[in-house]
Amino acid sequence: MSKKPDAPASGARRRIVQGALALPALTAAPWVLRYAHAQGDLGAYQSAKVDWRQAQGEQITVAVIPAGYFDALIAVTPEFEALTGIKVRYEKVPPGQIRQKAILDLSSKGTTYATHAADPMYYDLYVSNKWVEPIDKYLGDAKLTDAAWYKPDDMIPAWRGANSVKGRLYGVPFDGESTLQIYRKDLYDAKGLKPAETLDDVMKNAKAVHDPDSRVWGAALRGFKGAGQNMYIYPSIFRALGGEWFRGGSFNGNSKEAVAALEWYVELLSKYAPPAVRNWNWPDLADAFSQGTLGLYIDANTSASVLNNAERSKVLGKIGYARWPKGPSGKRVSSIWNWGFPINAALSDKAKRATWLFISWATSAETQARTSWKAKGPVKRLGLNRLSLWESKDFATLAGGLGSNFLQASIDSMRQDLDVEWRPRMPQWPAVGETMATAIQAALVGQQKPKEALDEAQGRIAQILKS
Amino acid sequence: MTNPRKGERRFALALFLPALLLLVATTTLPLVYLLWTSVQRIDLSMPWLTGFAGLANYAQLGGDARFWSSLGLTFIYTATTVVLQVVVGLALALLVMQVRVGQGLLRIAAILPIVLAPVVAGLFWRSLVLAPDFGVMDFLTRALGLGSYNWLGDPQLALLSVIAIHTWQWTPFAFLVLLASLAALPPDIYEAARLDRAGPWQRFWHITLPMLRPAIVIVVILRMVTALSAFAAIFAATGGGPGTATEILNLYAYRLSFTELNLGYGAAVATVLLVITLTVSFGLFALRRGR
Repeated sequence: MSKKPDAPASGARRRIVQGALALPALTAAPWVLRYAHAQGDLGAYQSAKVDWRQAQGEQITVAVIPAGYFDALIAVTPEFEALTGIKVRYEKVPPGQIRQKAILDLSSKGTTYATHAADPMYYDLYVSNKWVEPIDKYLGDAKLTDAAWYKPDDMIPAWRGANSVKGRLYGVPFDGESTLQIYRKDLYDAKGLKPAETLDDVMKNAKAVHDPDSRVWGAALRGFKGAGQNMYIYPSIFRALGGEWFRGGSFNGNSKEAVAALEWYVELLSKYAPPAVRNWNWPDLADAFSQGTLGLYIDANTSASVLNNAERSKVLGKIGYARWPKGPSGKRVSSIWNWGFPINAALSDKAKRATWLFISWATSAETQARTSWKAKGPVKRLGLNRLSLWESKDFATLAGGLGSNFLQASIDSMRQDLDVEWRPRMPQWPAVGETMATAIQAALVGQQKPKEALDEAQGRIAQILKS
Repeated sequence: MTNPRKGERRFALALFLPALLLLVATTTLPLVYLLWTSVQRIDLSMPWLTGFAGLANYAQLGGDARFWSSLGLTFIYTATTVVLQVVVGLALALLVMQVRVGQGLLRIAAILPIVLAPVVAGLFWRSLVLAPDFGVMDFLTRALGLGSYNWLGDPQLALLSVIAIHTWQWTPFAFLVLLASLAALPPDIYEAARLDRAGPWQRFWHITLPMLRPAIVIVVILRMVTALSAFAAIFAATGGGPGTATEILNLYAYRLSFTELNLGYGAAVATVLLVITLTVSFGLFALRRGR
């Protein structure tokens, strides 16, 4: 009994003392927490010798496509806002429309988008209209870039090359891919097959595993019409067969290599792919492969995350990866696809600086890591823009579970197979790409013979280019 | 002394002006801008060529095979869909006239496709009806032992498919208009015909059809204009493909302007389509007035 009366009193005193301490702490908490948070999280950026707050108060709008890798960026953007005092608004535009929307904005000198996720094939168009700023201006300015911290040369060289016009960089790669063979290791192993080394092997392997009666088709490729669909696959075949897009300065789309490439494409799809493949883009291919109905398809290495979705994939643990098969000259040609960020030339100087700070933040090694293995959300990006990150231990842990040989095939491919001249780089690309895509589809569906389709496309492109 | 009539006219003008200005701003100005664009060389992918082109864009049409094939497709598409709509719509209307119970329900059901946005109709057909393996159509043809087809992937089938989509969506319009006109036909003429021993076919050919004529002409005009300006359903279902198998003039103009960025030439193609639509409509109206 003697202890008991004491207990509440001391308890009450303790509560009061705690309360007294807690009160200022509580009122200060948001500031303290934010400060602590900022200290912990932003240190990696603040070690750069750049005044991150030089454009504070600016607001910029960034157009991106609805995709996991941009969601990961959006998720960490509050850190950028805390670091710089620049407000970022994102606008998600479907991939089919982002080019048109960006062109509309750029050509009307509107400044709706300070930067946008840009297609590497569009820089020639942008630059010939002077719609975007050369990036070297920003890279070379010590007030804006601490080169020792940012390490621009660490970014995948072919992506930088693809985003350059006449040697000057116009868009900084944020996320990209290389193209790989994605095959069913279990089916290949059962038949004693090795992943294809050459284009001929692709045909042989497809034949060996082709069994439509049990709903397995030998191989499939993007068949849908579009510059980013069938005209994504075709250039790799064309280049592997030794094709050159230009001869004597003029477009050359119906050479014998071009016809051979299209014939190979048509043969593979008509013999070994499901009939609907001519309407398929990469998500359809990924679905079909996840359902176990494809022996092989050749597509972006970043599809690996979709194929390993445990809820939807029936091929977990059965996936293998290999580089694009070689052509007769031994050349393997991967796409140089990447989403880059250019700077809208119509912006005010301060907004340009704010945009550059955003771009350099988003494409820095630190943010790349924070949107990949360090990401807190469900999406952990794969398409990182720096080889040093691809070769890091942390990334290897993340990529280890994606299937056999994923990491090595990706790294080899990015080191050796990326081809800057993969597609014809020219300001007229939108029309040229579209015309080629239409011709390829006409051949794929049997409306025209490959040579006939390409001759017609060549004639039309010659007409388009006529000045 | 102010003239009261003058004041009234002024008041009328004041009431009328906002609507007129709005109309000018939203329809006339863009039209003038289109015509102006069509005589310029504006190709965003070759900005160094920008300038006045006169009739060069129109001259270029002559040698553009894709334009001619697209024009041909436009005619096939328009003629087929309009004929189908009128024939099927009239047949349905005649049939439904015989239905005594539940006619109201049938009318409501008929409105449903019309209220769908064409882009929705296109996507609906593309993903649910015409998809190989999973679509309703493939299910039917396989059940009937006719095999599986790639409805939107084969050039001929794709054209048939987009014609079917348009017909499906707009036949109810023809049906409803013709049904209303049928219901308004005076019954005494039919009684007289029956007394004169006219058979059903004679009654249809010599009475119903001539009396429905004004309604049919109106339906044809309206349907033709819709068919000539069709865009969204085809764009959603095939995107003009495969190849260029369903690329009617509208889609070609769109592709030229917004994919290939050749705004001047795209405007010229759009102007040609505009002239065709106007000519056809005026011609049909004249025909209607003529009788």
